[in-house]
Amino acid sequence: MARARRLRRAPGPWRLPVVVGLAAVATGLALAGTSAAAPTAGPARQGPEPDLVAEGRALYRTSCVSCHGVEGAGQRAPDGALRGPSLEDVGPAGAYYQLTSGRMPIGNPDDLPQRKEPAYSPEEIEALLAYIDTITEGPPVPEVDPESGDVAAGGTLYRENCQSCHSATGAGGALSYGNAAPPLGPPDARQIGAAVRAGPDPMPRFGPDLLTDQQLDDLIAYVEYLDDPDDRGGLALGRLGPIPEGFLIWVGGLGLLLVAAFWMGTRRRDAPRVDPEPPGDEADPGTAGVDAGGNAPLARAADGERDGP
Amino acid sequence: MTGSDADDPEAPRGCLGCSGDGPPPPATGPADGPGADPHAARRAEVAVATGFLASTAGAIGLAVVYWRGGQPQLEGLFLALALGGLGLGFVLWSRRFMPHQPVVEARHPIASTEEEIDRFRDEFEQGEVILTRRKLLVRTAGLAVGALGAALLFPLRSLGPRPGKGLKETPYGRGVYLVTADNQRVRAEDVNRDGVLTVFPEVAADPEEAEEPPRPEHQADSSTLLIRPSGTPRPQRGRDGWTVDGLVAYSKLCTHVGCPVGLYQADTHLLLCPCHQSTFDVLDGARPVFGPATRPLPQLPIGLDAEGYVVAEGDFAAPPGPGFWDRDR
Amino acid sequence: MARDHLVTRRVARWLDQRLGSAKLARTALGKVFPDHWSFLIGEIALYAFVVLLVTGVYLTFFFDPSIEEVVYRGSYEPLRGVEMSQAYASALDISFDVRAGLVMRQIHHWAALLFLAAMVVHLMRVFFTGAFRRPRELNWIIGITLLILSIFNGFAGYSLLDDQLSGTGLRIAYSITLSIPLVGTWLASFLFGGEFPGPDIINRLYVIHILLLPALIIVLLTAHLGLVVRHKHTQFGGRGRTERNVVGEPVWPRFAFKSIGLMLLTAAVLAALGGLAQINPVWLYGPFEPANVSAASQPDWYMAWLDGALRVFPPWEARAFGYTVPNPFFPAVLLAGGTFALLYLWPFLEARFTSDTLEHHLLDRPRNRPVRTSLGAATVAFYTVLSLSASTDVVAVTFGTSVNGVLVAFRVACLVVPPVVGLTTYRLCRELQLRDEAAGMAPPERPRIRWELLRVWEWHARRRARAAPTDP
Repeated sequence: MARARRLRRAPGPWRLPVVVGLAAVATGLALAGTSAAAPTAGPARQGPEPDLVAEGRALYRTSCVSCHGVEGAGQRAPDGALRGPSLEDVGPAGAYYQLTSGRMPIGNPDDLPQRKEPAYSPEEIEALLAYIDTITEGPPVPEVDPESGDVAAGGTLYRENCQSCHSATGAGGALSYGNAAPPLGPPDARQIGAAVRAGPDPMPRFGPDLLTDQQLDDLIAYVEYLDDPDDRGGLALGRLGPIPEGFLIWVGGLGLLLVAAFWMGTRRRDAPRVDPEPPGDEADPGTAGVDAGGNAPLARAADGERDGP
Repeated sequence: MTGSDADDPEAPRGCLGCSGDGPPPPATGPADGPGADPHAARRAEVAVATGFLASTAGAIGLAVVYWRGGQPQLEGLFLALALGGLGLGFVLWSRRFMPHQPVVEARHPIASTEEEIDRFRDEFEQGEVILTRRKLLVRTAGLAVGALGAALLFPLRSLGPRPGKGLKETPYGRGVYLVTADNQRVRAEDVNRDGVLTVFPEVAADPEEAEEPPRPEHQADSSTLLIRPSGTPRPQRGRDGWTVDGLVAYSKLCTHVGCPVGLYQADTHLLLCPCHQSTFDVLDGARPVFGPATRPLPQLPIGLDAEGYVVAEGDFAAPPGPGFWDRDR
Repeated sequence: MARDHLVTRRVARWLDQRLGSAKLARTALGKVFPDHWSFLIGEIALYAFVVLLVTGVYLTFFFDPSIEEVVYRGSYEPLRGVEMSQAYASALDISFDVRAGLVMRQIHHWAALLFLAAMVVHLMRVFFTGAFRRPRELNWIIGITLLILSIFNGFAGYSLLDDQLSGTGLRIAYSITLSIPLVGTWLASFLFGGEFPGPDIINRLYVIHILLLPALIIVLLTAHLGLVVRHKHTQFGGRGRTERNVVGEPVWPRFAFKSIGLMLLTAAVLAALGGLAQINPVWLYGPFEPANVSAASQPDWYMAWLDGALRVFPPWEARAFGYTVPNPFFPAVLLAGGTFALLYLWPFLEARFTSDTLEHHLLDRPRNRPVRTSLGAATVAFYTVLSLSASTDVVAVTFGTSVNGVLVAFRVACLVVPPVVGLTTYRLCRELQLRDEAAGMAPPERPRIRWELLRVWEWHARRRARAAPTDP
């Protein structure tokens, strides 16, 4: 949990150089052919790159403005229904999450966003982020370093904050009215960090005072662990808990044994005919020996009549 | 099961324990009885022996795996082989080689004959009438047995304390600080917009044990959600001043069966309980809008102290957690 | 070989001189058991219980039922340094640091699931063939009691580990107890030793799980089997099988070896499951914290009907004069109580409605009792739908639908599916009966069902007529 301390907000002039610095690193990584998050260097103190912002604005105007409106103000359809929410507190972190997970851009604004292949290249995403940063007030893309995170501490944080929606094993979970907390794998550290900091709808937002940067690293380390956890017990069955276990015991456990019982027992139709008289027993008066395939009443009528209708 | 002998009127049908005069039962099963195919018998024998040998291999494998440090999948597989080979062998042995002709046994009605019942009743009542003759003795014996039985129930009272105010009250009160699970006090600005934090009352701790987290017993009933929703909470009747700085606090325990309501959906301001999907509206006093819960999550009145830390201004509006018989009294 | 015989004969004589065992053994080993395959289901349950006992004893040597907090120092890295109860830590030790511990633990848990599944199928076999009729009503009652005790024992067993998932279940059990009118708060306080989670719950569950309930189960199981021997097993009719005989295999040698074989096969299936299929990975759930909960929290399958009932039951509650009958009481206590009350009473209800109080040792073919069979099928359908209702959130996520919609769908299914299943089963039974008749089989005698007994308003008049018969 975040220790209570004074709020530390990065003052305005810092944000753009940080983003540009990140954009420079990201471009370098893209050129090197890797997409993994890496510990970033400190923020480069550079001036704003007008080209990047302009490129971002151009991309924004091509596909985002139709739903999110001019300068991210949000857009309503003619009948008043919301087409796209305002981006005012999305920030680069929120945009990074939505764009790199392919959730945005979305074809039909009435659909729920689904994870798919990103529509933009990493350079285009950097440009969009630069532009988003100029029009929103939200959190920056966090610098994450899961290698320095403590998995055990991250596990405790995960169980306190995340498992109620994403489940203890990161399998995801149902939310209201069709929404769902998605499964967390395969993990992308920066994407996870961006999601945690930005709180993309309907997720709550965990700023630096709720989770410090070190705690975020711990958390991401644990989420990465959950992608390939210790399944030493055998088949994980989806890690959904007692439901698949119950199905397996009925189908694979009892089902198998019932087949075995069917094989080793006899079937009623195959039973050989026998003489109903047990050997050595004196002739019992009134033995019906009926071969009816149903119930033959016992000879002792006195039993039955005592409790008549 | 081949029933080739069953239609033969000379077929033996003796059994162990029967007093029949028939010839002794055959010592053969379907595979090696009269008229059986010797090749089939040999095949069956090989099958059974294979089962037993596979079982032996499994047992050896299990021992080796264990000795070499153990591995759950191999342990399970070898154990299954050891048990299954033996079991299959026995089943095949019984089916192919053990006598399979059905045996008939007599079944007598369970109920005794009238004469037996009458005899028992007479003998019993001869003893019983001695007892019932002495009414005083019967009555005082009954009293003593009843009293003993009741007295023996008294130690059960030690199993638990009388259910008391603990069900309705929590350690929250005016001026009690809200703390996280790490026992850190919370400032209002620590909770960002759309943020949610689980907090507990700061239990007045022993000066020497100032760093101990709250005892589970205290935490279990008083876990609280501190939320800064992005909308404006609707004013609740009689609850002016229960929110502070856009923050609102509700009990985390679902009023259905007590699961922590951990899912906060920031866009719709709904709290969803994962157990049975009770849904509560944070902007409207956490009243239930879906699911089996019938009562809203009790709200906690909160305020700020001089240094900006969040404090409770009293206890929950209602007993937290699920309902019980005298909850409202 | 000759010496072998001599030794065994000497041992047998030695025992007989002290126990009189020769005569007893002759009778016992000569007992005849009908060998229909469906009579083996109860045996599967019995052997699963044997596996439970063996693996359970092993686990008791390593499990520490203490709620005292410790810092984990074992070999599972993602929990190292985390505070947890001694009970949870010992469960982790069994899973990671005791050789063969995990496989024993998993076999034990799978065996519990199999035990209950086999019991339920066995119950259905007994029900649908009418094997609960006189003289076996007592055995039926013992069987239902065994089912209830086993459900509680399973719940107590997996709650011992003090992990997040089972702790959530304990919290729900506490709240259900709390919801009982008048005495709920006292009962909950006595069971838990105070407010949830209580100072000593794991220790109490341990005593219940390894001593109280197993002892009761063993005693009742012995009585259950003893009654089967006393009454002799039922059999299907036809081909010389009557109410006055038992046709089957003698215990020695065929039935004994078949049964031992089935026991070993059951244990083999459980061993395979225990090694190959992971069950209850408590290290992923984490230690129980009262303020935490995971999405997709479900109980083990045999309690799923209770969880499903809690979900689908609408938000109704009774409140008057400051007293409350809380919502969970209705699905969790009343429904459960009503279920088992109906089960207990069934043999007597059927006897009353069919005016049939004769001894029965021949089984019914389910098609020949269409009313009983369709009522039973509808009941099975009802509890199956309820059990599936426990998975509303997992269904919603798996199929990408709204959990709210899924819940409404299950509510409708609970009401619609059972009558449909019942009616379909009834028609199926009649069809099969007609086919039997066409094939030349004589239809068996069917009792007339006294539906008029359902007219509650006539009970008073009926009782008066019985007390004062018209003819002297």
